[in-house]
Amino acid sequence: MTRSRRTLLFALAGLMALVAGVGLALWDRHTPDARALLALSLPDTTGEQQPLKQWQGKVLVVNFWATWCGPCRDEMPEFVRAQRELGPDGLQVVGIAIDQRDKVVSFAKELDLNYPALIAGYETMDVAKPLGDALLGLPFTVVLDRRGHVAHTQLGPMKPAQLRTIVRRLL
Amino acid sequence: MVDPRTVEARFNIADGYYLYRDKIHFAAEPATAGLSVPTLPAGIVKEDAFFGHVETYRGSVVVNLALTSVKPGEQVVIAAESQGCADIGLCYPPTIQRVAVPIPEASIVPGKAEQAKKSWFQ
Repeated sequence: MTRSRRTLLFALAGLMALVAGVGLALWDRHTPDARALLALSLPDTTGEQQPLKQWQGKVLVVNFWATWCGPCRDEMPEFVRAQRELGPDGLQVVGIAIDQRDKVVSFAKELDLNYPALIAGYETMDVAKPLGDALLGLPFTVVLDRRGHVAHTQLGPMKPAQLRTIVRRLL
Repeated sequence: MVDPRTVEARFNIADGYYLYRDKIHFAAEPATAGLSVPTLPAGIVKEDAFFGHVETYRGSVVVNLALTSVKPGEQVVIAAESQGCADIGLCYPPTIQRVAVPIPEASIVPGKAEQAKKSWFQ
């Protein structure tokens, strides 16, 4: 191989590496980062701390809600159904209630909640801002794949069919 | 101000949104201003499956706040807290809006005093 051809090959390899690097960086910027969300550790209704990391490897549906949010309460029976039917296949719904514990306990009992309800204050919702909820509206749902990457975010209630389609694709 | 000791607080609620009556709170800074909040006007009643009797406001709500122990020329800040939802199915965190209200000087002749109305926009 002549020297000029070798130089050209190195230059091409270098260019490809640069393009790949830039491409990866751009892709990263457009894909919301769930690391702050997964780093959360919040108390459940019994007061026990629950780190979100414990559910990595599952298809994780994190739903931010509150008892005072009518639309939030309305969509929750569907999460209960999905957890019951798809839990054995690896789905884990986790509710993060921006709320007071006694109200959450009461509502969870009423709904026969079959997934964890974690209690948080508004400051916890800071993790939701970069994920697509700048105004901290509720409900807000984030779906993570088994590797902990964001597969879908939903501001406002999720339609049952939509939830099933997204989750089934990831299971 | 409606008169030297009364502030009219008006919430202008955008179409497609509503506020919860029981989530509206007022505070005055400094607390020595002696804020007195009357019973809030009746709202639209709804029977909520979980909370029972719930009242909401749409359009606009006016509340006259009395400042019972302000001094003329004092500057008072009114903090108004409210919380509501959009009909499309989204609820928002409690919001606190602060407005500075200068209390008229005692030397201003009643009747000729400039009546400044402070309003909050949702």
